[in-house]
Amino acid sequence: MAEAEAGGASSVAEPLDLVRLSLDEIVFVKLRGDRELKGRLHAYDSHCNLVLGDVEETIYVVEEDEQEQETVRTTKRQEEMLFVRGDSVVLISPQAS
Amino acid sequence: MLFFSFFKTLINHTVTVELKNDIRIYGTLRSVDQYLNIKLDNIDIVNLDQYPHLSSVKNMFIRGSVVRYVVLPQAEVDTTLLEDATRREAANQANKA
Amino acid sequence: MENGAPSEPEDPSTFLAEILGAPVTVKLNSGVVYRGELQSVDGYMNIALEKTEEFVNGKRRRGYGDAFVRGNNVLYISAT
Repeated sequence: MAEAEAGGASSVAEPLDLVRLSLDEIVFVKLRGDRELKGRLHAYDSHCNLVLGDVEETIYVVEEDEQEQETVRTTKRQEEMLFVRGDSVVLISPQAS
Repeated sequence: MLFFSFFKTLINHTVTVELKNDIRIYGTLRSVDQYLNIKLDNIDIVNLDQYPHLSSVKNMFIRGSVVRYVVLPQAEVDTTLLEDATRREAANQANKA
Repeated sequence: MENGAPSEPEDPSTFLAEILGAPVTVKLNSGVVYRGELQSVDGYMNIALEKTEEFVNGKRRRGYGDAFVRGNNVLYISAT
């Protein structure tokens, strides 16, 4: 096991290495409850608890109008510094843009 | 342990805790434990119009597992320090595995 | 083992080790599906994918260069 881990600090030997390589970079985070975040990753741990800076949160709400047409309404919110509890996290992706 | 230590540095500062049921509570962080349970004093419910039954609550002990976000005071967060601590924690975690 | 067993007994982690680098489909409890190349998996079923596409109700929603998926959301990983 240990020799496999020793394959250089920049390699992606385990999934969380992908998150480690995104430190101080912009990440996209998908959360439970139709929420998404985009912000700079300042901290994480093995539970996927996160601290993000300059975050934009997007919330998707499905609404049904009189004709039973479903429309998706999005709400956006900005936060300067945000702690995110890991159990809400679904996906983390480094964002080049 | 990273986030436990981090939250301890924010004790006696004001934060906004957003719960998984969407209630947002503004207050002074009085204490935190290893589960990231949080005690808040002098609280105000940010979205009180939706949750009027909480209007007279002055302090709260919040179970860590019901927290979605904690909005942090940006000025109190040293992001360089956080990122270094995160890298150290990740290295420790890798050695344990 | 040699006499008549259809194949070597295989445990799930052997299967996962074998499909590293291969194109996979990952389905989440929510029904969302990700297709990409399997970069790595750990004991929590946390997954790192490359060249990932996200499908919601069978429709492509998004692409990700790299994606980390938290293991507790995973229903299955399938070699495609």
